[in-house]
Amino acid sequence: MSMYLKLMNKYRHAFICLSALLTLSVQASDDKSANPLKIHGFVAQGVIDVDGSNFVSNENKLSTELTEIGLNTSYQLSDDFRFAAQAVYLNGGNRYNEGLRVDYFLLDWDAYSSEQWQANLFVGRFKSPHWLHSSTRDIPFERPSIILPQGLYFDGFRDIAVGGDGAALKLTYNNDEFGEFDFNFSRGKSPINSEDAEVILSKFAQGSIKHELDSQISVYWRPVFSQWRFGLTLLDSEFNYTSASLDSYVNGEFEFQNYTINAIYEGEQWEFTSEFLQTRFLTKGFYAPQFYQDNLGQGGYFQARYKVDQTLTIIGRYEEFYADKDDKKGHKLEERSYGTVPNYFGFQNDAMLGFSYKFSNNLQINAEHHWMKGAARLNPIVLPNPQVNKEHWKVWAIQLMYWF
Amino acid sequence: MLFVMLIGSPVTHAIDVITNITADTASITTAQLRRIYSMRQVKWANGVPITVYVLSSNNIIHQKFCKETLRLFPYQLDRIWNKLTFSGMGIAPTPVKNMEELIKAVKSTTGAIGYIENINEVSDVNVLKIDE
Repeated sequence: MSMYLKLMNKYRHAFICLSALLTLSVQASDDKSANPLKIHGFVAQGVIDVDGSNFVSNENKLSTELTEIGLNTSYQLSDDFRFAAQAVYLNGGNRYNEGLRVDYFLLDWDAYSSEQWQANLFVGRFKSPHWLHSSTRDIPFERPSIILPQGLYFDGFRDIAVGGDGAALKLTYNNDEFGEFDFNFSRGKSPINSEDAEVILSKFAQGSIKHELDSQISVYWRPVFSQWRFGLTLLDSEFNYTSASLDSYVNGEFEFQNYTINAIYEGEQWEFTSEFLQTRFLTKGFYAPQFYQDNLGQGGYFQARYKVDQTLTIIGRYEEFYADKDDKKGHKLEERSYGTVPNYFGFQNDAMLGFSYKFSNNLQINAEHHWMKGAARLNPIVLPNPQVNKEHWKVWAIQLMYWF
Repeated sequence: MLFVMLIGSPVTHAIDVITNITADTASITTAQLRRIYSMRQVKWANGVPITVYVLSSNNIIHQKFCKETLRLFPYQLDRIWNKLTFSGMGIAPTPVKNMEELIKAVKSTTGAIGYIENINEVSDVNVLKIDE
């Protein structure tokens, strides 16, 4: 009985979310088409096995820590104003903090609308619209694989990269000669609690981390009637760490400046995607009062998907990421740490093969295998752990997902 | 022989685009239709909000409309709509179960747009001329 209660307590958020989702799914199916209220949701559960790293858990064994549940609503207040909100429950083991989150909670103002132009302003908590998968990274059936390329979509940064509290502007322009243009600008900051901080900074960091205001811009272009789409994104973000009175770390400051370019080709059977990232990661203090490190990291991936038919899709992807582009093999990192941090913490490469099978329009299973080399994107990144994280490690995962 | 082939083939119709009579337009370009179905244009020129109705993604008429009229693959539209729905940045078209429901919804909803395979089966809606 006590074990049952413990289980109930551990997964209470999941139970609450699932009950609400099932109840509302019945109501949603009865939705009248002209109804200003829309309700949607999803539930996904999988198993994941990691051999050679603490990517999901500290024990190398099969884990069920692959749960994603979400419920959202949209209510059209008038022709120009709409309210939207989504709550998600996520459990990814060490990948990010387990629990319930308010994913977005916003007011959407349709500021200007014409046949060519559309301008929307979103105020509140919004999801980042900038990268190819930033707004749908937790939506199991909408991302290409169970685990996204970690160089760009590092799970440890999920809660600080997924969106922010502030405002976002979306401007679209359609030109019959030159194609479709999207411009996004956002300014906001992420609320970071102590559990989120622990995922990135380790349990030895007793202080608090604060996300200062960040700015992001993205531009997308699809030529007229083209299967291709191209994008460019810029991010400037700053965090301050305030140490506690008894702390292994001192006050510090982290700055990220990310630049990405991406291209996607959407054919009838073949689909190709590529994203490249250059990231400037500046650290002042934190490890010691005079510590200063200014790294320029680089990463990118190439992904191909082949639709065998309307139900089966095969996916393959190769990704490389280097924490410091001038130290791609990590030897300087090892030297600087007097050999305590092995060179393979300076990079992380991932070769992946997988498939997805659609049983119906809203029921799907995804399965994939990753062959990893390197440990630059394993939490906590400030405290590399060579005892559990090997240079070569593997992950396989299967996840079943339903949405409405 | 030709006669045998003709009577042996299933009767197929072109896909026509229909709107509620409040939508103030008689013709539309393919590019504009793509904008409407990819939710990049959400209001008609007269300011009336557009309500988009669709059949399910695996419906053969929906697939024909996407590929032949919009020159898009159904999965591309699904992706756009899911992204809007689950990021809070917009709303997706309203799905209906069958063609009868779609026609009824277009007739009764201000600013609505939909598609139909056999135009002879419907009245009290605008049938748009599609320009390239």
